[in-house]
Amino acid sequence: MKKIISIVLLLSVALFAAPREGDKQVAFNLPKLYNANATLSSEALHGKVVLLNLWASWCSGCQEEMPLFVQLQQKYAKKNFEIVLSSIDSLPQSAKDFLAQVDKQKNLTALYDAQKVLPKSYRCPGMPSSFLIDKNGKIAAVYIGSLDADGIQKLQSKIHTLLGE
Amino acid sequence: MRTLFFVLLLLFISGCSDTLTRVMPYEKEYFAQDKMSLTPIAARGEQEGHVYLIREASAGGESSFQGGCGCR
Repeated sequence: MKKIISIVLLLSVALFAAPREGDKQVAFNLPKLYNANATLSSEALHGKVVLLNLWASWCSGCQEEMPLFVQLQQKYAKKNFEIVLSSIDSLPQSAKDFLAQVDKQKNLTALYDAQKVLPKSYRCPGMPSSFLIDKNGKIAAVYIGSLDADGIQKLQSKIHTLLGE
Repeated sequence: MRTLFFVLLLLFISGCSDTLTRVMPYEKEYFAQDKMSLTPIAARGEQEGHVYLIREASAGGESSFQGGCGCR
């Protein structure tokens, strides 16, 4: 009886645990925000250092950190680093309208997650949530809440480490 | 009988889980709308939201803090 309880408890912990640092990233295949006919999968990003940002245009924290992400992507434009945004807005146009203000040159790779698959899979306790993913698809760092300039500085040192610099 | 009891107990406990009873941060799009705030004055709304949260012993419904997105 004790064994059954232990197995059930272990299984429930394993099944309902959120992905953490060191775990493999959640596989996805989502349509692009600017071109709904095209998709981007997590496999296509293999070999790159990726910052996966789960955001929405109605989230004030997401609005605050987005210009910092644009600057960060511009800085690492020639490196093997990509910022991938996944919007959970109910209307993709809301996300497009917001990005048109802060990322006019479309530096950031934008995806649209209508079913909120990624925040559900990652069991996000807050919005925005960002996941730094290494070249092998493993989660190197988790950031819950918006990143400020200080946070971006710390993030950059992690990116350098993951890029092998 | 004991197995059945534990299965029912587990089901009962999972019924109280966070994901079922709490509005998750990624589900707060409509809470984040201006019309959902307790007051049009943002600074006051934050205070009122805090009082409401304590009084109702609830979390997640208010929109005044951080646009209702659950961040920070």
